[in-house]
Amino acid sequence: MLIKALLLYCLAFGQGVAGDAVLSEISAIAPGIALPPASLQSAGRLAKTPITQGDFHQQKHLKVLRKPLISTGSFTYHQSNGVIWKTLTPVVSLLLVNESKLLTGQGEQAVPAAFGKVFKAMLGGDLAALSDGFVITGTDQKTSWQLALIPKDEMLKKIISTMVLSGDTELRDLEIREAGGNVTRITFDNITHPERLSDEQEADFERLSP
Amino acid sequence: MNRKPILNVYHPKLTAGLWLVGMLVICILGSQALTKDWLETSFLALLPTSEQQPEIAKATRQHNQLLNRKIVWLAGASTSGEAISHAQKLKRQLEQSQLFNKVVLEFSQQQYIQQYQQLFPYRYQLLDAQSQEMLVKNPEDLIKQNLEILNSPIGQMQAADLERDPSLLFSRYFGSQNPIKLNLEQGIVVLSDQHRFWALLLTDLQDERLQLDKLETLSSLVDSATGQVKAAGGELLASGMPLFTAHGAESAKQEVSTVGIGSSLGIIVLLWVTFRSVRPLLLSSLAIGSGLLAALVICVLFFGKIHILTLVFGASLIGVADDYAQHFLCDSFGEKDWNPRKGLKFILPGLSLGLLSNLLSYAGLGFSPFPGLQEVALFSAMGLLVAWLTVVLLFPLLLAGFTFDHQPGILKLTTYWEQHWPLWVSKNRRWLGLMSTAFIASGLWMLTPQDDVRLLQSPPAELIRTADKIRSLFPMSPDNQFFLVSGKDQIDWHQNEQRLIKRLEALKQQKALAAYEGLSDYWPDADRQQQNYRLLKHKLYDSGLLERYMTDLSFDETAVKTELKQFAAAERNTLALSEWLATADETKRHLWLGCDSGRCQSTVALIGISDAGALTALQDLPGVIWVDQVESLSSLFARYRIRASSLLLVAFCLASLGLGFKFGWRNGVTIMSVPVAALAVSLAMLGWFDQLFSLFNLFALLLVLGIGVDYGLFFFMAGDRRASTSLGVTLSALTTLLAFGLLAASSTEIVHAFGFTVTAGIVTALLCAPLIGLKEYKNK
Repeated sequence: MLIKALLLYCLAFGQGVAGDAVLSEISAIAPGIALPPASLQSAGRLAKTPITQGDFHQQKHLKVLRKPLISTGSFTYHQSNGVIWKTLTPVVSLLLVNESKLLTGQGEQAVPAAFGKVFKAMLGGDLAALSDGFVITGTDQKTSWQLALIPKDEMLKKIISTMVLSGDTELRDLEIREAGGNVTRITFDNITHPERLSDEQEADFERLSP
Repeated sequence: MNRKPILNVYHPKLTAGLWLVGMLVICILGSQALTKDWLETSFLALLPTSEQQPEIAKATRQHNQLLNRKIVWLAGASTSGEAISHAQKLKRQLEQSQLFNKVVLEFSQQQYIQQYQQLFPYRYQLLDAQSQEMLVKNPEDLIKQNLEILNSPIGQMQAADLERDPSLLFSRYFGSQNPIKLNLEQGIVVLSDQHRFWALLLTDLQDERLQLDKLETLSSLVDSATGQVKAAGGELLASGMPLFTAHGAESAKQEVSTVGIGSSLGIIVLLWVTFRSVRPLLLSSLAIGSGLLAALVICVLFFGKIHILTLVFGASLIGVADDYAQHFLCDSFGEKDWNPRKGLKFILPGLSLGLLSNLLSYAGLGFSPFPGLQEVALFSAMGLLVAWLTVVLLFPLLLAGFTFDHQPGILKLTTYWEQHWPLWVSKNRRWLGLMSTAFIASGLWMLTPQDDVRLLQSPPAELIRTADKIRSLFPMSPDNQFFLVSGKDQIDWHQNEQRLIKRLEALKQQKALAAYEGLSDYWPDADRQQQNYRLLKHKLYDSGLLERYMTDLSFDETAVKTELKQFAAAERNTLALSEWLATADETKRHLWLGCDSGRCQSTVALIGISDAGALTALQDLPGVIWVDQVESLSSLFARYRIRASSLLLVAFCLASLGLGFKFGWRNGVTIMSVPVAALAVSLAMLGWFDQLFSLFNLFALLLVLGIGVDYGLFFFMAGDRRASTSLGVTLSALTTLLAFGLLAASSTEIVHAFGFTVTAGIVTALLCAPLIGLKEYKNK
C-alpha cells in the first residue's frame, strides 16, 4: 500500500502526464479509506508498534512489458518519523517520506496532505482512520484475513480498480490492480518490531527533518 | 486677472456678473465631466512613465499587467478537507461578487493534457537541461535513472506513458516545464505548514484599474470572507496588488474627509468667533466652494481622471483658499468707515502678489514628471485662482454695507500679539538669534534624504505580514525585478537568454534566488532542436543503447522497431516558438515580448530574490537589461529631489527679484527673510524629528515659500492697518495650519511628510511675519 498510496497522493503538476487513461490519474485524489464492517475485525490483529521493519519484494506487471519489473529491498516504518523505502535491486535507490516531505534520488518532491494520514493508517494497522474513501469487503479466517478496497471516488476508480491487502498478525501481501491493466504485487518478509532505530535509520530520518 | 479696470473702474455688479457667468460655465462643464468615472485609485498612476526607454516601459507594463489583477487566497484549516470546504464556500462568494473574471479553485488538467499532446510529436527535439547533460556525459546514467524511476514506488507517475515514451525523456522535459510541484486534492492545490492545511484559490480582477466603489466592495468582501472562515474555525489569507490599492484608496478617502471636515469646522468656528455674523461664513464657504469645484472640474477636464491622493492634498487647499476671503473680511476691522471699495483697493496689491507667489510655487510642482504632483499643482493653482477671483469679483457686491459694531476678542489678541511679540523678540534678539542659529544648523546637519519609492505606499503591517506568509507558502509569484533580454533575431535572443539562464542557475544553487523562469529553457530554438535530435541519435539510437535498454526491459520486438522508426521519421520536425507559445499558460506567454524592427525580446521572471546585488551584476551580459522598478523609481526620486531643490532656488530668486523691483532691494530682502526663516526652520525640524526627507518635502517647501512671501508681504504692506493684517494673517495661518496639520496626521508616509513640512514652515512664517514692516510703520 505504501507504493500505491505514494503513487496516488504524490500527484504533481505535469509530472508524468500521459495517455488519456493515465492522464486522469493526475486529478485523482484518494480520500481516505472506510472503516471496515463489523465482521472484519482483522485490523485488530495487526501488531501495533511504533517501529516496523522488514524486506519487500515487488513485482510490477506492466502491460507493455512481457516480463514483470522486479525489485527488492527493505523498508522501515516509524510511527512519528515516517518511512524509509530502500530499493537494493536492480538499482540502489532510497525513498524517504513523512507527512510533509518526500525525498527521492531526484531530490525533494511534494507530498500531498492526506498522504501521511492514510499511509500511517495502513502500515500501522489503523483501519479506523481509513475511513470514507473505500468500499471494503473481506474474508476473515482463523489465522489470516484479506481485505479488498474499492475506491468510492469516481476519478480514482478510473485509475485503481482494487487494492487487496492480506495478512495475519502482520500485513503480508499487497496487490494493486490498476484500471488500465497494470498490476503491482508486493510481499513483505522478515518483519520485526525493534525497540529502537539503528544509527543508519536514524540518519536517514534525520534527512527528513526540516 | 486684469487688475487695472478693477482698480480704477469699480463695478461690483458687472464683476459679480462676470463671476456668475464663469461659474455657470464651470458648472455646465462639470455636469458633463463628473458624470464619467473620474477618480483614479491605482498607485501606479502616480508614477512617471516617460522617463523609461519605451522597451523597458513596455516590458514593465506587461510584467505588471498580470500582477496588478491577481489576488491569491489561502483558506486554512486543521484538515485539508475543511480547508477545501472553506475554499469552496469562498469560491461561491467570490463568483457572486462579480468583481472577478477568473476564480480558479479546481485546476483543470485539460490544459496539461492538451499541452502534452501538442508537444509530444516534437519529443525528440525537446530535452531538459539535466537530460541533455547526462546524454553528453554518460548516457548510461540516463538508463540507470530510468530503472530507478520504473522501480520506485512513486516512479509510476513518471513512467505512465512508458509505451509511447520508453526513454522517459519527454516525461522529463514535460516535468521540467513546471518546476514547482504542487499537491492536488480533488483538483485543488493544498499547501501545508506546521499548523494548517491551506487550499489555494487564484483570482483575476475584471479590471486592472478598479473604481473606488468596486475597491470598497473588494475590501469588504475580504473582511466578511475572513470573518466567516474564522467563525467556522479556519483562517483566511488574501494578498495581491489590488488589496494594497484598495487599502490606499480607503485611507485616502478617510483622509479626504478628515482634512475636509476638520478644516471646514475650524474655519467655521474661527469665522464665527471673529465676525459673529453669518455673512462672512457664507462668503468664505462660497470662495472655497467655487475654488474647489472649479479646480476639480478643470483637473478632470485636463487630465481625464484625477487621483484620490490629489484630493487629499486638494482638501488641504480649503485652508489656503480661505486666506483671500479672510484677508478681505478682516480688513473691515482696519478702518472706521470701511467699505468694500476702499478695502479692495487697499488689499488688492497684496492679494494679487500673494496669488502670484502661490501660483509660482504650484507651477514649480507642475514641472515635476510625476503625474500625481502635476495634478496637485493644477488642482491647487486653479482652486486658488478661482477663490481669488471670487473674492475680487464677487465680494465687493456681497460685502456692501458690511460693518461691525463689535471688537472681536481675537482681534484684541492678535493686536496685542502683533505689538508685543516684535518688542519681546528685539529685546531678546541676542540669545534668540544664537539659539535659533544653533537649532537650524544642527537640524540641517541631521537631515538625511530618503528616496525609497515604497514610501509612497504605507500599507499596514497586517497586509504585509499576510503577503509574506502567502509568499512563503506559495512561492510562485514573480518578484518586481526582472531581466529584459533582447537579440537581433530569435537565434541571437535565444543565445543571450541561455547565457543569462546558465548564470542564474549557478546563482540559484548559491541560493541568491529561489527560482527563475525564461522561455528559452522550455523552447529550444531551431538549431538547438536539431542538436538535441543529433545528440539522441548519436548517444541513444545509433549506439544501440536504447534498443538494448528496451530489450532488457522486455519490450516487444515490434515496440522497439516502432520506436526506432518513429525516431527516424521525426528528423525534420521543428517546433516554432509561436506553436510552443500557443500551448503555454498565460504566465509563460507573458514572458515573450515579440519581435519587431529587427529585435526580439523577452523577460526572465525571478522568484524569491535574496541577493539582488548578485543579480544586478548579470546585466553586463550581452543583450541583458536588469529592470528594477523600485530601484529605478527611487533613483528617479533622488534625481528629482535635486532638481526640485534647484527649482526651489529659482522660485526663490524670482520672488526676490520681483519684490526687489517693486519695493526696492532692501525691502525685498526684508520681505524674503520671512520665507527664508520658514524654509530653514522647516528643514531643521525635519532633521530634528527624523522625518522623511524626499522629493515631496521639497514640493512642500515650495508652498512654504509661497505662503511665507504672502505673510511677509501682508505685514510689509500693512502700514497703519497692522492690527487687521495681523488678524487676517493669524486667521489664515490657523486655517492653513489646521489643513496641513491634519495632513501631518496621515498614515501615508509622504502625505505625513508633506503636512509636517508645511506646518513647521507656516508656524515659523506666522512667528516671523509680524517682525516685518514695524520700522516702516513707525517711521511714518
